[in-house]
Parts: sequence; C-alpha cells; structure tokens
Amino acid sequence: MLRQFCAYLMAVLLITAGCTATDNALEDGNAKVFRYNQAEGLSSLDPAFARNQANVWAITNLYSGLFELSPDMYPIPDMVDSWEVSEDGGTYTFNLKKGIRFHDSEVFEGGKGREVTAEDFEYSFKRLLDPATASTGAWIFNDKVKKNEAGDGFAENWVEATDKYTLVLRLEKPFGPFLEILTMPYTFAVPKEAVEKWGKDFRKHPVGTGPFQLKSWDEGNSLIMVKNPNYWKDDANGQQLPYLDAVMVSFIQDRNQELLTFQQGKLDFMSGVEANSIDLILDKDGAVKEEIKGKFVVQKVPYLNTEYIGFQLDPSVYKGANHPILNKDFRKAMNYAINREEMLKYLFNNLGTPGKGGIIPPAIKYFKENTVKGYTYDPAKAEELLKTAGYPGGKGLPTIKLNTTVQSKPMVEYLQKQWGAVGIPVEIEINQTATHQELIDNSRANFFRGSWLGDYPDAENYLAMFYSKYFSPAGPNKTHFNNSEFDKLYEKARYESEGFNRLDLYHKMDQIIMEEAPVIVLFYDEVVRLTQNNVTGLEPNPMNVLDLERASFVDGEVIQE
Amino acid sequence: MLRFIAKRLGYGFLVLLGVVGVVFFLFHALPGDPVAMMAGQRTDVATRQAIEKELGLDQPLAVQFYLYLKDLSPLSIHEDTAEEQEKYSYIPLLSLGEDEVLVLKGPYLRRSFQTNKKVGEILLDNLEATLWLALAAMVFATFFGVIFGMLAALSQNTFWDHFLVIISVLGISIPSFVSAIIIAMVFGYYLSDYTGLNLTGQLWVNHPIYGRTLHIENLILPAFTLGLRPLSIITQLTRSSMLEVLSQDYIRTARAKGLQYYKVIVKHALKNALNPVVTAVSGWLASLMAGAFFVEYIFDWKGLGFVTLKAVQSLDFPVVMGATLFIALIFVLVNIVVDIFYALLDPRVHLS
Repeated sequence: MLRQFCAYLMAVLLITAGCTATDNALEDGNAKVFRYNQAEGLSSLDPAFARNQANVWAITNLYSGLFELSPDMYPIPDMVDSWEVSEDGGTYTFNLKKGIRFHDSEVFEGGKGREVTAEDFEYSFKRLLDPATASTGAWIFNDKVKKNEAGDGFAENWVEATDKYTLVLRLEKPFGPFLEILTMPYTFAVPKEAVEKWGKDFRKHPVGTGPFQLKSWDEGNSLIMVKNPNYWKDDANGQQLPYLDAVMVSFIQDRNQELLTFQQGKLDFMSGVEANSIDLILDKDGAVKEEIKGKFVVQKVPYLNTEYIGFQLDPSVYKGANHPILNKDFRKAMNYAINREEMLKYLFNNLGTPGKGGIIPPAIKYFKENTVKGYTYDPAKAEELLKTAGYPGGKGLPTIKLNTTVQSKPMVEYLQKQWGAVGIPVEIEINQTATHQELIDNSRANFFRGSWLGDYPDAENYLAMFYSKYFSPAGPNKTHFNNSEFDKLYEKARYESEGFNRLDLYHKMDQIIMEEAPVIVLFYDEVVRLTQNNVTGLEPNPMNVLDLERASFVDGEVIQE
Repeated sequence: MLRFIAKRLGYGFLVLLGVVGVVFFLFHALPGDPVAMMAGQRTDVATRQAIEKELGLDQPLAVQFYLYLKDLSPLSIHEDTAEEQEKYSYIPLLSLGEDEVLVLKGPYLRRSFQTNKKVGEILLDNLEATLWLALAAMVFATFFGVIFGMLAALSQNTFWDHFLVIISVLGISIPSFVSAIIIAMVFGYYLSDYTGLNLTGQLWVNHPIYGRTLHIENLILPAFTLGLRPLSIITQLTRSSMLEVLSQDYIRTARAKGLQYYKVIVKHALKNALNPVVTAVSGWLASLMAGAFFVEYIFDWKGLGFVTLKAVQSLDFPVVMGATLFIALIFVLVNIVVDIFYALLDPRVHLS
C-alpha cells in the first residue's frame, strides 16, 4: 500500500515536472534574459502603489509616463511631445506623442493594445487622487493641484483632456519642481478598461506602455516580464527597443545570499551591499578589491539619500523647558564631536561622502559637499560649546537616549564612544523598524536615527522635512522644527519657477538648517551596482532606478544556467 | 458518535473564537502604525486618511472587532449591492427590509494591508510549499527514526546504542533556528561545491525559457532541519517500545519455534512496537506546519510560516490573523480526526 502510494507520488512528480518544463518556453533558444533579484519583495504592480524601490523597478519597466529622468536627473519628455507652461506657472499644457499603444491585452477589444490618449492620463491622475483608490501617492498632487471655489475639494477641471492628444493640468499655485513630480511612477498611465475589469486585482494584471509586459508573477518566488513587441521607441540606429527578450526577477531576501548568487553568475545585476559584506567588494579605502577586478563591474554614484540623526524639538515632549536637546549650542556640540570621515572609513569602507555639508545630498544638482557649510570634527569646539550651553565637560547632562534599529547598531555605538569622549552620555535603544518608525512619528523618540531617500530629484523634497506645516505623523517634519524665516523661504521657493532663483533660496534654507542644527547629518550615501561583464546599456543613477529599456548583453551571447 | 463529533466541533469553534479574540487584541496592543508602514516617509493627512479608511482602521477597536467577526461568519447581514457581492461573493438567503439581506458566504479573510492581495489567496498559494516541507520532513523522520530506534534497541547498551541516544537527546533539545543556521551554513555554503545545494531556494522555479521546473534539491536542507526533532523523538520512541516488545513472551516463543532472527524482528517485534510511533506521527503533521516558521524564514522557503513572519514585521494584520486562524483550524481538525480514529482502532477507548 505504502509502496504503491510512493510510486504513484513519484510518477505524479515526474509527470508534472516533465510537462510544465516545455509549456511556455520562448521559442528561440538564444533569448536574452536579464536576471536580477528583489530582496525587499514586490507588493504591487499598480503604479498607484509604486511606494518602494521594488515596486518602482518593476513598474518602470512595465509602464511609462509623460516624463522620465535623464541619467543626470533632468526631467526629459517620454510620452509627451511638447509642452507649455502658462505665464503665471499655474497651467501646464501637454501635447502627447501619437501612436503609442498599451500592451496587447484581453481587456481591450480584439485583444490588441489601444492607443494612449490624453483621457488616459486624465483618468490615471484622477484615480490617484480618488480616496477609494487609497493610493500611497495621493500626496504628490493633493496640496498642489487646483482647488474648487469652496476650497473643500479639487476643481472639476484640475486635469482635463481638451482633445485626443492634449492634456491640461491646473495648479493652485505654481510649484517649481512640478515636472520632476511627473517623472514619478505614481503618474504613469493606466488604461481604464484594465482597472475596471480587475478592480483591486489590477495589482497583478498590469497593462502599460513600457518596454516589457508581464508574463507571470508567482508572488514571493519569481516575476517574469517579456519584451513588448509593439514598444514605440527606437535606438539611434533605428533598431526597436528593448534589446532584451525577457527579464527574470528572483526574490532572495537575504542580501548576503543575493551577493553569493551574483558571484556564482546566476544574476546579471545587483544593487546595494550589506555593511557586513562590503569587505568582500571594497577595500578599506573604498577602492574595488584586486581579486574582484575583471570578474564583474562595480559602479558607484552618489545616491539621493542622506543619513542623519534627528533631535525632537517640540518643547512639550520634555518635562522641563531646559532639556539640553532644546539648547542649540548643545546640539551643535554633538555635531562637532563626531568624526564622520573616520566612521565612514572604518565602518563603510569609505562608501559614501562624509556629511559635512547640509541636509541636501550632493546627488542633487548644484549641491556640492561644500556649497553649504555644515560640521566637521572639532572636539575642542564641541567642549567649548558644551561650556556655553552650561554643561562644562558634560557636567549636569542627563543621559540622552538614542533610538535606532538594529541595522545601524555598529554605527551608533561608534558615535556613542565619540560623544562619550567629550562628556556627553548617550545610551542606545534598539527597536524593530515598525516600532522605531512609530516612536519617531509620534514624537516619542527625542533623539533618533533616520535617513531620507529622495522621492524626486529636487532639494525641495529634503527641505520639506523642516517646513512647520508638515509636522509628523502625517508630514515629513519628524523633528518638529519650526522656524518662521525658513518657512517664508520655503513657501517662496515652492512658487518660484525660475531654477536659479530657487537654487539660491534652497542654499539659504539649508544654511538655516545647519545653523539651527535640528539634525546631525552623518553621511551622503552612494549607490553601488554590480553587473556581470557582458551586460551593456545600464547606467547607474542617483535615484537608483533600474531601467532596462536599453540593456543588453555583449555579442548577444548569454550563458543561462 | 455523531454527538461526540458535534460536541468536539463546538469546542473547536470556541477555541477558534478565542484565538481570534486574543490575536486581534494582542495585535492592536503592538507598537507600530500599519498606516505609516504603508504610507512611507513622505505623505500627507488626506493620503493617510484614505489609507486608514481603506484598511478599516478609522473605526473604534470594538467596532473593528465586530466587523472582523462579521466578515468571518458564514451567516451575516449585508447591504445587497454589487460591490458587496464582489467582495464577499455571497449567496443571498433572505431579504430583510429595504436593501439588506441575510447571506451565506465563505469566511472572508480580507486583503493584505501591504499588497492588497486576498488573504485567502495568499494562504492557498503558500500552503503547498509548507505542506511539501512538512511531509518531506515527516517521511524522512519516520523512515530514519524507525531504523535508528530499531538499531539502538537491538544493540542495547553497546556504543551505538549510547551514541544514538545521546545524539537524539541533542536533536530534541536544539532549537530549530539554531540548527537551521548551522545546517544552512555548513551544507549550503561551505560545502556547497560538494553537496550542490543552495542556501535557499524554492521547490518550483519559473524561467522564461525553461518554464516552471521542479527543484527537489532545494527541499533537502529545510526538510532535514525540520525533521531533526521528530527524527530524534521517533528514534527514542521506537527504541523504548522495541525493547519492551522484545522482552515479551511471544518473542521468545517465536525464537523458540525456530523462526529466523530477521523475521522475528520485522514481523513480530517491529510491527507491534510501531503502534505508539504511528500515534505520534499522525498527530505531528499539524505541529510541524506551525513549527516550520523559523526553518522557513532561515531557508527563505516561501511557505505559510515565512509569509506570517513577514506580515508580523510589516504589521500586516489580516495576513497574521488569517494565518493564525488557519493553523488553529488545522490543529482543531486534526485533533478531532485523531480522537475519532483512536476510537475506531482501539475498542478500549470510549467516546464520552
């Protein structure tokens, strides 16, 4: 009986393994298949939920929007042919390219992809703001687009398709970096037919205009995208894009395991290396290790990311009004007491740039490390400032509790020693990510580890962290920094459409942040990308977006396991 | 008999109700804000409110609990609209007044906060991997456990006996997350060139060219790790029960009438010695499914345990709740089935 059962089981296993193997193979044995891994796991393929890197990567390859970012972070036209901004900066008129079609899909009549029109954008943008969608991206338009007369909702015509290829978008007040907003995957075009057919399950039935279309998504295991045969873009030689035939995404969640798999040649690309395996790639000076050179390509570019430690500045959370954190000199002393260069060298193999400038990272155009004057290592000055603050040599200081997650533990322990050296007692509390975030959002952490990853490449996105109307939990101002001069400049910069005037305001604001020291800027991160030697057409970029439109393999030769 | 089953089902229902209550209130006492986990670092009031409403977190806790129970209950009253119909896919039974209707439906486990996927689908998708893992671990443990136990009993008080007993004590006492890490590192990393095994991997691998293929080798390490504890226990159980049987009179009789040693051991001794082992094994599958949490997490095995742990980390309440309920349900059902089987197999057991 048992023997029979076992034999039966084996037979079933063999048969299923045997038939499925050939079921849906690409006919051509020489297909170019690009393989990457997604450690954080993918939660949705719906552009309205493009809220993390994993989602953004997949969605960027499946969909497209009005604008895209060039490798040096300028918004350049994608599906838009030409556009106009009204004199007052409040109305945008976009003329769309003609003849672009959605992926072929059963949701369209005859299964053939329908042409994209201005109405699709109107629908997609309105869908983003509709509370019923509950999109995580509604904030990008909420406080920017035109309100109705009563002011309790959006104007009927805030976005409007005036004819088949013309889209008009009206803002309440001009917003400088609005085109940058329109490069975000939240704004990508989705067809009404698909959203209505699939409802909430549209998340796994994407129909877009991107270079690839979905073949299968076995959640948590694999995502397979194949070339969109009707993609509308050609390269300079007139050859149709994309070059790749398929993209295969795996979901190994452990970063070290991912690196190992890459080294075995089973992935074509990976981005980001864990702190504890950085030694395998870079030597202590940040150069690529000798034994790695030639095996695969290592690329580094500045990342749109600032690592910092924040102070809670809301006096109401402290018992007395004299808590040292509320004292500017004390905060400055903490800034001067730490050696950022040494920290980067010993803990991160010099990956990243010391945070000696402002909160805005050098990955943003026109922000070099020295544009804004921040803090350097100067223990003498730190001691002097402590004295001015009324705590000579740290006398009379309560123990300051630093909240962090386990990932930053080595770093904060290093900083703890340096603060200790000038007499500032710091204790460390480690929490789970969810708890950590909640403590910060609800002002229950007085001194906390944070990092800000830019949503779009404009300094405004960083400075919003200090605007007094954006207090957490709903807004990004987690330190509850409140400075009327800063607020004035921020409002002015938002409505300033001329790039260089805006830049000047940004510099001033960043300088105020440094002077008031609501945060300790630690370092500006760098993107590390590893690619196999035969991969071409992949440019690293400060947003760390993976756009496979032009990726290919040398000689078209691929070794598949 | 029927009365017994009905009674046990009633108790089981109460257990499940208790599980729902405890997990629901425990979860809401946890620190952390599910809305913030969704909305991320940059958001605004309107966005947060829309998400909060979508997740049903804008209601008072008691109302939330009531609504959750209502979603679970197979009999409930809903507004009769197309939306509700799509959400619950119910069968209307009785119209109550204007547009309200009493309906019959499958328990609705809601959608994941994080991914918006139906929790029922998530559980079903990941159940397969867990089942295979638990089954493989059990087969491995039973097969080798019986052999080792038999060997130990036959060579009682020799070196091998002591060796196997010590090893099995170790196997019982070592926690699975410790053994999982050691086994993964040794066989999946340091020795991976020789074993050909990966640190992690799935049973099924999708490939654009080769399609969906089966990778049995990825099952080996996690199943081995998960099977260690049952293996040890089965070894000890078999050993002691074998020793007991071997000292019985009928074994001596069998030997005395000239039967071969081998036949006596296999046909007479082992067959009777296996009774307690079979009992242990049958009750085990359910607990293995629950015990696979750490093993699945460390080996990146995308099963029920893996999904549940991820959901706890990201405060994905519906998934945590759904998975807990599902496992509780399996426990309750398996216990009832085992009780009934006892009664059927052993006339000395009376149902009461």
